[in-house]
Amino acid sequence: MSAAGPSQGANYSPSGGSAAAKPQAWGSNTSDGVFLIHGLGGTQYDLGSMHKRLKNAGLVTHSLTLPGHGLQPEDLVGVTAEDWIDAVVAKYREIRGAHPTLHLMGMCMGALLAATLAEREAHANGRLVLLAPPVFIDGWATPWYRGLRPLLYALPSVRNTMKVEEEEPYGIKNEQLRAIVKAKFERGENFHYRWVPLECLRQVDRLRAIVMRSAAKIRCPTLVVHAREDELTSLRSANFLVEKIGGGRARMVVLEDSYHMVCVDNDREIVAKNVLEFFGAPMPGATSILANEPKMTPAELVTAVNALCDCLANGDFAQVRALAIPDMTWIQPGANRVAGAHAGKAFGSFATRLQDIAGGAVRFTAFGTPVFNRGIALVPSTLVAEREGARLESQGALLCAWHAGKLLEVRWFADDVERENQFFGPPDPAATGPSALEQAFESATAASRTLKATDNDTLLALYALYKQASVGDVSGDRPGALDMVARAKYDAWSKKRGMPPDEAMRGYIALVEELRKREVVAA
Amino acid sequence: MSNLVPIIAVAVAYLALAGVSTSLAYAPTDAWTVWLASGLTLGLIVAQFHHRWMVPLAGAAIGAAVFALILPGSGVTDAAGYAAIEVIAAAAGAFAAMWLAAPPLRLESLRELGAFIVGTFAQAVVGAALAAAWNLASGGQEGIRTFNVWAIAAFVGAVLVAPLVMTWSGFRPKRSGGLTMPQFAAGTVGCLLFLGSLYVLFSGDTQQRFGGSVGIGLTYVPVLFMSIVALTWGARGASLAAFLGALIALFNTIRDSGPFAAVDAFVGEAELEVQVYVAIVALTGLLIAALAAREHKALLTARDWRTRFEGAIDAHRMLAYEWDPVGGSFAVTGDTAAHLGVPAAKLATLADWLSHVSPSERDATATAFGMRADGALGPALTYRMMRSDGTAITLTDEAQAIRDHDGTLYRVTGIVRIGDRG
Repeated sequence: MSAAGPSQGANYSPSGGSAAAKPQAWGSNTSDGVFLIHGLGGTQYDLGSMHKRLKNAGLVTHSLTLPGHGLQPEDLVGVTAEDWIDAVVAKYREIRGAHPTLHLMGMCMGALLAATLAEREAHANGRLVLLAPPVFIDGWATPWYRGLRPLLYALPSVRNTMKVEEEEPYGIKNEQLRAIVKAKFERGENFHYRWVPLECLRQVDRLRAIVMRSAAKIRCPTLVVHAREDELTSLRSANFLVEKIGGGRARMVVLEDSYHMVCVDNDREIVAKNVLEFFGAPMPGATSILANEPKMTPAELVTAVNALCDCLANGDFAQVRALAIPDMTWIQPGANRVAGAHAGKAFGSFATRLQDIAGGAVRFTAFGTPVFNRGIALVPSTLVAEREGARLESQGALLCAWHAGKLLEVRWFADDVERENQFFGPPDPAATGPSALEQAFESATAASRTLKATDNDTLLALYALYKQASVGDVSGDRPGALDMVARAKYDAWSKKRGMPPDEAMRGYIALVEELRKREVVAA
Repeated sequence: MSNLVPIIAVAVAYLALAGVSTSLAYAPTDAWTVWLASGLTLGLIVAQFHHRWMVPLAGAAIGAAVFALILPGSGVTDAAGYAAIEVIAAAAGAFAAMWLAAPPLRLESLRELGAFIVGTFAQAVVGAALAAAWNLASGGQEGIRTFNVWAIAAFVGAVLVAPLVMTWSGFRPKRSGGLTMPQFAAGTVGCLLFLGSLYVLFSGDTQQRFGGSVGIGLTYVPVLFMSIVALTWGARGASLAAFLGALIALFNTIRDSGPFAAVDAFVGEAELEVQVYVAIVALTGLLIAALAAREHKALLTARDWRTRFEGAIDAHRMLAYEWDPVGGSFAVTGDTAAHLGVPAAKLATLADWLSHVSPSERDATATAFGMRADGALGPALTYRMMRSDGTAITLTDEAQAIRDHDGTLYRVTGIVRIGDRG
């Protein structure tokens, strides 16, 4: 690439300052949605990084906390299968008009609810993904006395008081991940109930019966993902559903290296890939970008590129982050202190390091006319930086990939990489990691998990600061009134809108420190 | 008031076990073969923490007193004395057991099993001594016989019932985990064979069925099946099978059936033999289960250690290897599949490792490893490996020698830092 003579791009407006660089939800009103339903005793943790991956792919995700979940296992007593069905139906009706297409996706019991929802609402405007649906409780690690539970159901006092516990392998084959889950349980983290009342299993059994009766009436294309070694429910469940729904509409993916929790176990990448493919969503990454449908009009693409150029012209890398998906990757060439692939959170430390080296005087300028190919834009430009009297003017081109209004990836191609190597200096292994503030933030995050139970307002404050620091401004629709927990979290996060990530990190660290001090004093 | 229901439940269970024991009385010696109720009291105490002793002791005292009152010729004084003996003996047994192992005891280790046996022995001896003293104090002439009958019946009864209580009191229903279905099926087969073989051996005229003393010799067969039960079902299943099997053996023997009744040289020989037999079978099952539990625990410890080690080197983007220059084995630890695109199993020799080194650097790397084999470890090596996807990755390989007592090279162990691709 030769960019001899920087030129003003026809599609770039140099007048665009910070106002033009503000994040915009390009295409958000036309984005497809996905309704995700968690499993029994679980939370959205059951679905691993699916939320994030779907968001990265330009889909809008919706979820809810099922009745009886989110606080303590005792809350499940008295909750019926109908309560869960009613909750997902209400949420579905609330969001189905907000997207051109709405997909359904459920994990474990959430898969049974998704199947029931698809049948009851005659869901046709979207697809259905069933992850490890437990139509039959017959996995290899289910206990020998599982067949006796109907006898105990006849005794109300027993079924309401008997606790049915979760034990190893916790649905996870990967021993590292299992150790993490075990530690979370031992710390008492509220990501999954350690036990559920027997009555709750009775309701799941009723739900299973409903699905068995109604599966044949599901009319939408369906993907069933199931692990061959699922310890809770065998492949028989997946076979049953595919057979009932019909081979023409339903297909199955069998995982060979996972147990029940398919979204967090060894095969999670395979799960994500198949789900994204099934939804027709793009997968971020240079190899697949060109094959993806950008879901942006040419005008939207031009506007997006202009906004990016505005940010880069001002050296405002924090605003670049606001334009991008959470896992956006910036690839800087060469062998120097800022070279490498900087994805997700690492982009923040890259930007800080870049500005530290050059005393805050790094920017891109002299943008040329962009060349577009689907969601890809190639923009000739010049990287300008100054350091200790030395000045760098490195010509090259920025290649940026977009999807549904969000920036997926930026690659800087320098014409003379060696010049940049000399300017930025040799790689410094000590400087490639997270910044001191990020390290403190990580430590505070770990420390927060050891805090004893605190009040809801403090928990919400912690949540809001954490999300603002790690993700940025809140996005997506405000959850409905029925989903009180998710709504409260959304509201708390939205109050931090506009707060820079560094400030949010400092706030989070200070709050955790204060809470720990309070605990010490109380002890 | 909140303890009333559990106390009554213990008393009822005590009476039920006492009733079963009564039905197992051996007519020729006019004695109970086993005193199952003693196992209930001891088991309930040692399966709990100290502060929960009151319920089992109170329930046992009530059960013992009521049972004594039911017996013909017993009065309130006898009932009170009998209840006191039960409570004191059970408490003595519990103290002895807990002196050796901290409660609650679940029989999941050899230490707990040893403590349980000591506790059972102490309970039997203390109870027997008090009963003999009571007999003599009340004008009886059978102090020694009372001691012997009581001690043996109480010991065997406790060996059969207390493990049931101790192991099953820790039972919690699970959604998943614990005994897998294949394990349960194997244990079921073992249990059926155990109970079936006992029934075949002990029911009917053994001498006529097997001839001579063959029946006695065949009493070893159920022990084999008990070992299968213990290995698959653990202490919980072994204690259940031993209890049911003991009922079969005892019930038939007191009715002059089975191998021990067939050869009865003196009055009470068959009773003594079956008492020893059921106790030995039960303890064998518990011993095998404790050994299996110990091995399982060791495996879990090793797994945790491996998980921690692998997690640490993976977090630092490293691999570790151990190379035997003499034997040629090469063992790599770490996520080779992620870093190199090759599973560790396919890097079992140095030749396997070198085959993935970039062709242009392979000879130099092989030479460096050859020098390491001669003890010249040198500085860290930097070379590129070819990944399965065709890309290259830079490794920094730092080796150290493990030498034996006289300085001879035993192994070369290395830490490999994963660098950048390309």
